[in-house]
Amino acid sequence: MGRKKKKQMKPWCWYCNRDFDDEKILIQHQKAKHFKCHICHKKLYTGPGLAIHCMQVHKETIDGVPNAIPGRVDIELEIYGMEGIPEKDMQERRRTLEQKQESQKKKQNQDDSDEDDDDDDAPGPSFVQQQMPAAQPQASYVPPMAQPGIPPGARAPGMPPGAYSGMPPMMPGHGVPPMMHGMPPGMHGMPPGASGAVPHSVPSTSSDPPKATFPAYTQSSASSSSNPPSNTVAKPPATVTSKPATLTTMSATSKLIHPDEDISLEERRAQLPRYQRNVPRQGQVHMSAPPVAAVGGMMPPQQGMPPQQPGMRHPMHGQYGGPPQGMPGYMQGGMPPYGQGPPMGYQGGPPMGMRPPVMSPAGRY
Amino acid sequence: MSCCVTCWQVCLFRQHKYVSLASKISIIPGHVMVFKRSIPAFSIYFRGELLYRKAPYPPTESQYGLIALVSVLSLQMTGSNEYKLNQGPEDSISAVKFSPSTGQFLLVSSWDCTVRLYDVAGNSMRIKYSHLAPVLDCAFYDPTHAWSGGLDTQLKTHDLNTDQDTIVGTHDAPIRCVEYCPEVNVMVTGSWDRSVRLWDPRTPCNAGTFTQPEKVYTLSVAGDRLIVGTAGRRVLVWDLRNMGYVQQRRESSLKYQTRAIRAFPNKQGYVLSSIEGRVAVEYLDPSQEMQKKKYAFKCHRLKENGIEQVYPVNAISFHGVHNTFATGGSDGFVNIWDPFNKKRLCQFHRYPTSIASLAFSNDGSTLAIASSYMQEQGDISHPEDTIFIRQVTDAETKPK
Repeated sequence: MGRKKKKQMKPWCWYCNRDFDDEKILIQHQKAKHFKCHICHKKLYTGPGLAIHCMQVHKETIDGVPNAIPGRVDIELEIYGMEGIPEKDMQERRRTLEQKQESQKKKQNQDDSDEDDDDDDAPGPSFVQQQMPAAQPQASYVPPMAQPGIPPGARAPGMPPGAYSGMPPMMPGHGVPPMMHGMPPGMHGMPPGASGAVPHSVPSTSSDPPKATFPAYTQSSASSSSNPPSNTVAKPPATVTSKPATLTTMSATSKLIHPDEDISLEERRAQLPRYQRNVPRQGQVHMSAPPVAAVGGMMPPQQGMPPQQPGMRHPMHGQYGGPPQGMPGYMQGGMPPYGQGPPMGYQGGPPMGMRPPVMSPAGRY
Repeated sequence: MSCCVTCWQVCLFRQHKYVSLASKISIIPGHVMVFKRSIPAFSIYFRGELLYRKAPYPPTESQYGLIALVSVLSLQMTGSNEYKLNQGPEDSISAVKFSPSTGQFLLVSSWDCTVRLYDVAGNSMRIKYSHLAPVLDCAFYDPTHAWSGGLDTQLKTHDLNTDQDTIVGTHDAPIRCVEYCPEVNVMVTGSWDRSVRLWDPRTPCNAGTFTQPEKVYTLSVAGDRLIVGTAGRRVLVWDLRNMGYVQQRRESSLKYQTRAIRAFPNKQGYVLSSIEGRVAVEYLDPSQEMQKKKYAFKCHRLKENGIEQVYPVNAISFHGVHNTFATGGSDGFVNIWDPFNKKRLCQFHRYPTSIASLAFSNDGSTLAIASSYMQEQGDISHPEDTIFIRQVTDAETKPK
């Protein structure tokens, strides 16, 4: 990369050791993460500025810079962007960067292509060992782990120097914001699998994984691994079966705002009784309690029931005799009006017996 | 356009969340809210834009009225860049599409079984026609013909000049997508009966049925190619001029159910979104070199009290000119992304509820945003379904 004379080449944040493409972005980051008042969310310019603001306006003292890594929480140090960073820390950083670059270069010299991040050559581990004392896990890290899952996971535990220096080729720091929002929460949310792997991989994130993070991220998600459903082996793809399978759950700190079954939102909605009646008076959105409970109760039985479409065929057999308990079939006009009010008790039981026969694909319009 | 002053609602303002003190009534944009922060400032927001702020002490009660009045007036004079469509559908909106020739007309399909045509400039509904059941998608064949299909499995076309309906054909199960391919001059429909059917719009009649491996959830046209997203995360690329075989079979690079696919206007690739707050940008050219460029990113996620809430990304729409795209999620946010620089260009204020559909007008000056609850959390009470029309600027949509 460019001119060596710049103080460290890429701007980095002293408080959390993250790398950035541009000093402007670095400053924005610092203002948003480290110099933001937790009470009124005002963004200040420096650490001492934040301390003074809190004291004057809120009459509160703060003891450290928010979101800073341990050792870098000093609120008295006036740091703005790259200015004000103590020389000692600058040198330390330079050294770490050089070490990383060297190990990266050496690794690269050994592979034929830079695309494959899955190399596990013999020279690798021992070589790296010389430079990064904790790099032994390199070997262990390489083969099994869902690597791309790891770098993101590894980034948080404060090993960013490695991760980040490699990043830029892939994703300009700016591109990262969309990631970043995801990332830090993703960190915590990063599934147990990744966190389990993190201890191994932390030291070894020095080499190519960061560089390959983005494509690897997607390749891995294309191929096999980690990310949210790391704790389960059977991924959603396995749901190409008759039953609408349930989604694999995410980690404890992430919650997917979606119903459990792996059918589309529209399919699920089409199963609601009010849409099955085929009368265009769907204005009442607020059906209130009974439907809510009913729908909830109905869902599970329905899952087992329809082999193919959760109720999207027209059975056409006026089997309804019974109440419209989610006669899953769609009736095309001309269906005898039920004359029953909406709040039909939903017994999943009886209809269950009724439905399967009804689900014949032969239903035609 | 029109905004009204509500009563002085005193709320605790949390950045980007408009939560009233007493309950979780979501505040519908369009009303002037008077916020009084716990400390130390007093500000007035209108649809997420700050109009007035006084710090550190709030104004006296008597000053409130004057301030609100001034704000409202200034707004009315400058005009707002966003407004709600009148006579909106009575149930959730499933799709919004602009006319191919002008940003003046918008076609809207809804779960209230109707398809409506709006004059967006004049903010009025021009035409409404019905299906027998909720309509899931609609599309323009040309500025005077609308096509639509839904749970009643019937594909209908409506002549907007004569206000006449015709039933073109049916599928064996609800129709989920309706699109037009101008290059091949064919209408394409995808259905939960696992088939894609082509229709000749002139006659109109069926021009073929093509089986897909799974239920069709979404599809998009790129030049003379068709990209189909099905259940089971499969993605198929077809050549519309030669439907004898599938050109490419792929698996979605995202691990969760595919929600939407939209092709780039430059036909080089497509954007795919899933229910798990993630979007992937992929390229059609199967060469290694192009395939290396694909990537994915997380979006539409909110962190609340340490728990990350991950929302489905329901809608994608491309800006016709800049090749940037907007995504809308169930979190109620609309983001605009620059896929080549991999950056987010802009995020609008939060809408009252999930974004069900998005559409840019052909010249990219207007964005239609359909805000409708999509039952992600079951049948609960929710803000009403609305369509917002927003004038977008280059600053918001142009790559930097």
